[in-house]
Amino acid sequence: MTRSRRDPRTERRAHEVPAAGRPRFDLATATPPTRRMRRDPRGEVARMLVPGTARPCIDRGQTAAAEGVTAFAAAAAAPKAPEIRVVEAPAFLVFAVLDAPEGRLSRFDRQVLGAARLLADAGEGGGAVVALASRAVEGLGAAGADRVLDAGDSARAPATGADDGAASRTAAAASNDFVATAPARPVDPAAQAANLVALVQALAPRHMLFPETPDGGDLARRLAVTLGEPILTDVEHLTARSAARAARGRRREQAGAPPRLMTLGEDRAADYAGIACEARAMPAPPEASPTAAAPSDSAFLSAEIIPGDPATMSLAETDFVVSAGNGVTDFEAFRALAAALQATPGASRVVCDAGLMPREAQVGASGTVLSADCYLALGIAGAPQHLQGIAGCEHVVAVNTDLHAAMVERAGLAIVQDAQLVMPALLKLLKERQS
Amino acid sequence: MRIVVLLSAGRYPVSDRPALPRLEAQAIALAQSLAGETSGLHAGTDEAGIADAFGHGLDAVEMLDIAAEADPVPALAAHLKAHPADLILAGRRGQGGEDTGLVPYALAEALGLPILCDVAAIAAADAPGAMRFDQALPKGAKRRVTLRLPALVTVHPLAPAPSPYVFARARRGVVRHLPGVSEPAKAAPFEEKPYRERPKLMRKAGAQAGEAAEKVHLHPDPDEAARLILDHLKRIGIRRYS
Repeated sequence: MTRSRRDPRTERRAHEVPAAGRPRFDLATATPPTRRMRRDPRGEVARMLVPGTARPCIDRGQTAAAEGVTAFAAAAAAPKAPEIRVVEAPAFLVFAVLDAPEGRLSRFDRQVLGAARLLADAGEGGGAVVALASRAVEGLGAAGADRVLDAGDSARAPATGADDGAASRTAAAASNDFVATAPARPVDPAAQAANLVALVQALAPRHMLFPETPDGGDLARRLAVTLGEPILTDVEHLTARSAARAARGRRREQAGAPPRLMTLGEDRAADYAGIACEARAMPAPPEASPTAAAPSDSAFLSAEIIPGDPATMSLAETDFVVSAGNGVTDFEAFRALAAALQATPGASRVVCDAGLMPREAQVGASGTVLSADCYLALGIAGAPQHLQGIAGCEHVVAVNTDLHAAMVERAGLAIVQDAQLVMPALLKLLKERQS
Repeated sequence: MRIVVLLSAGRYPVSDRPALPRLEAQAIALAQSLAGETSGLHAGTDEAGIADAFGHGLDAVEMLDIAAEADPVPALAAHLKAHPADLILAGRRGQGGEDTGLVPYALAEALGLPILCDVAAIAAADAPGAMRFDQALPKGAKRRVTLRLPALVTVHPLAPAPSPYVFARARRGVVRHLPGVSEPAKAAPFEEKPYRERPKLMRKAGAQAGEAAEKVHLHPDPDEAARLILDHLKRIGIRRYS
């Protein structure tokens, strides 16, 4: 940020007194300054003095900031009405096919939406980002989706009847039963791909972005083969004009103008950080209804999903880690808590060095660097090497006796309490809620 | 049951010498755990890399001789149409070419076979003429799929480890050369240039921190603390305990 400069000529003109002869100035009058006021450090300290104490006691709690600074801050942080960005008549469409596991937007999904937003904004006339995900997914508008198209079950899903994004988001958030009743996407990947092909033929999007995950990558490749179009997979560099990917054992790279089909690598595009978009529900075109596109005779007989067992999962692949540090002494209770929370047990270096937990459980720079969504730290102060290990965790919950611990600062929810007392309370409450 | 393992002219990522990609060695181990005769299939010019496949347990490899810049899919499809296989196994991405992972999909499309990606285990199914495949999903989950054969599946790194390399077997193996259909590859609309490393985005710490007002709770009652934690876990949607 640059400060506005003083404008001495304007200041002098403000002092000018109208006179007939030569110019005359009244320099004693107070005129509005042409720039930010100077700080008065002595005055600030004087205002921070706590009255009625024997020796000078200064309250540095930022309760009495300098007037110039507060006035400037107030002007900068003027309350704004929540804005919603509306694209009424898009010149073209950009599809973002999201995984949204368990109905939540993952970090990777947000990156795909951010990349789609980039391509939509760069095109002539302005395009719209269409998120192909269940309508029950929250936060699509803030992540940059103009439209939401329920790819799998649009024909059968109840109409939310919401025109603006805020209303549709609250409707989706309020109706949890919608999540429960909405049928899942077809499990047969061939049927899913057929649905998408019908959508592509009906709506003719300019670009279609997939995350390079097992499901997204599979769908993208099926689509590329069915449509017979070129595809850039695992794109490492994406701008509006060019996209690049590694080829031939990462010795060469393929680059060109962004084609219609692309799968994006993880952590390769930034999230959308602008004004929230409307995420308006978009009706699927009738010719692309799932029943019309479903193949009649499929080799796909049945499918069932077997969720992973967090107790035996490795730390690198789990989504929820409960970790013990030096503040935990009762490891039987800790293991029982990890099992009851359905989380993978982890530990800090101190605990592993002491032999209280196996070395495989160590979290941090010299242990495992996590990719979990949530991290519950029990009695861990948060050494820098430990914080490196949880840098990728979206949500952190800390239980620690020290208010000034680094982990408390990092956490989204921090409980300043003894972990040894909180563990049995958590076990008891879990038992109550599960019975 | 006839099982065919597709082999690619892989190169070792560090030394760039011809080598069998690990996933294809795992595919061989997976194929040998099933009752049936297993053979390898490769379309290309160079047999240096695929020689390793014998050491990992393959007895015979059929090599379709095609021109250096030809598309392998028509040759593979023509051969597999003439000699149909019940199960075709491939790595999720071949190596040495464009590394897009499109060949199994293009081959399945050409043969009209169903394709299943990221398979970590294969077992017999109850239905006749079908098999049960375990697809590896993120976060340790599995999808157990029953698929009617013939089918094409790609192998996930979580499949059983490759059988150890045996030098004597590698010496005994024979490559059978067959003439293949040489169709020129469709020109890709992309330009090729030397690889340039691009930085990945940094993962920001505390990107999704809670609101400051309800963030820190000073010395709550342990029961209250437990309630706060479980409510927070429910709100972020990671687990539901009820």
